[in-house]
Amino acid sequence: MNKFIFIVICVALFTGAACFLSLRAFAGSCCGGGGGAALVLPTIYQSMVDVSFDSEKYVGYWSPQGQYVYAPVGYQYRLNAGYALRLAQYWQASISVPYVWNNNQYSNGSTRSSGIGDTTLNLWYEALEDESAWKIRSMEDLTPSVMIGPSILIPTGISPYDNKPSSYDITGRGFYRFDGNVLITKTLHPWTASVSLAYGTYLQRPVNREYGKYVEPYEKKLGDRSSASVSLGYIYYIGSAGDTLTGTVSLSTLREENATINGKSQPDSGFQKDSYGATIAYSSTDSDWTIRVSCNNAIKSDGWGKNFPATNIYTIGVSYGFR
Amino acid sequence: MGSGRMRVFLLIMVLLAGCGTMDDLNPSGSDKRPPEQPGTTGPAVGQNAPDFTLSDTLGNNVTLSSVILTTQGVVLYFAMEWCPICEGNLDSLRSSVIPAFPNVRFYVIDYTCASVAEAYAWELATGYTGSGFTVLADTQQSVLNLYQATMGSTVVIDKNGVVQMNENYKDGTRLQAILASLP
Repeated sequence: MNKFIFIVICVALFTGAACFLSLRAFAGSCCGGGGGAALVLPTIYQSMVDVSFDSEKYVGYWSPQGQYVYAPVGYQYRLNAGYALRLAQYWQASISVPYVWNNNQYSNGSTRSSGIGDTTLNLWYEALEDESAWKIRSMEDLTPSVMIGPSILIPTGISPYDNKPSSYDITGRGFYRFDGNVLITKTLHPWTASVSLAYGTYLQRPVNREYGKYVEPYEKKLGDRSSASVSLGYIYYIGSAGDTLTGTVSLSTLREENATINGKSQPDSGFQKDSYGATIAYSSTDSDWTIRVSCNNAIKSDGWGKNFPATNIYTIGVSYGFR
Repeated sequence: MGSGRMRVFLLIMVLLAGCGTMDDLNPSGSDKRPPEQPGTTGPAVGQNAPDFTLSDTLGNNVTLSSVILTTQGVVLYFAMEWCPICEGNLDSLRSSVIPAFPNVRFYVIDYTCASVAEAYAWELATGYTGSGFTVLADTQQSVLNLYQATMGSTVVIDKNGVVQMNENYKDGTRLQAILASLP
């Protein structure tokens, strides 16, 4: 295989792995999560199918004041189906749909519910391409891969405003959200690093029902959301066939401002969650398969979150690229 | 890009559009509250509040129909243990609502506890003891079901035993307005 193509493949696959790690960290939560994540299509593929399974364990919460409180009371499981498609040389689109199972356990009983979660549609533009050098010989070798693009979260999940009577049934948030996303990746073999940033705003919507009961209508808007993730990875080459094993560690933060009702800010409705993660991805360049396992754990200490469930997410996923 | 793959992508989009039966995709602001049914018993606004007896965290039985006789009104807040949303709501209740309505009795219904002792432990751990509301242990979730409530549901019952509000707490503004209008 041409060495240049080989390098491009490695970088592209790793970029995908890094993105899965950084973005899926916020795929959902025990109190109304279930959003899908954006896929990134490696350079050599025209399309890609991705399937993953998340097990998210609720391990407590951060109080509105930022104090971590341990409380093991529930699980959420998600089966995520994603499809990415290359639209043009530098443009790609993807869709990701989760199916969510909630399993809440309390001292006096447990509940189980399931349903489709919120769907993510994503558009990426590949603004800069990383040449993925093995050694820095010129300034061009320092050029990172830069991808930018919008995404939209579609409220296909079960929200508090649907005709469901219990908070246990929730699989989505009930609001459309538009995000702007930036993904910067730089590879100097065998090391690679990435930064992903996103800022999103929800659309205001009318609400006339809460947990199945009709109420006096009002207008609600969730607060703007920002997230950032940094990751560092090492690519280990297996044999001479081009297979790779990539290990990545990451640090992520997510913040959402207070919601508003009829234009009035709702105190303590915003939240913050900080987490760390690790991923191991095996890529077989000949067979176009990538398999990955990852974890993303809340930083279970005071000050690393606010008004939000603390969860540990374990993911196993597989993707297949079509050339 | 192959036309076949584009068709797959479009098919997924069409299937998603088929999820349009879910109200969130096209939310409505119409007022669809059902007409009040005075004289009947139930959890809806205008109905007579279903009576119940629960134990507080000290083991004393609290009966709604008895409490109503001695107060201007009763507020029930339904809380899950170890829930950040509930904690925020209860902070708001303590700081903004309870001090303004000294003639109203406030009860927090802990519907996730298995025993009175567990509810008491939760009350102690969260610092709710002596905070202006009484924690009641709904170990069988009977009151939760009576009032068709869920996490954050807030019920106001006037001194005549009629439900005046049964909806999510949000920021407490509506609760305060309802309480201010109680006779």
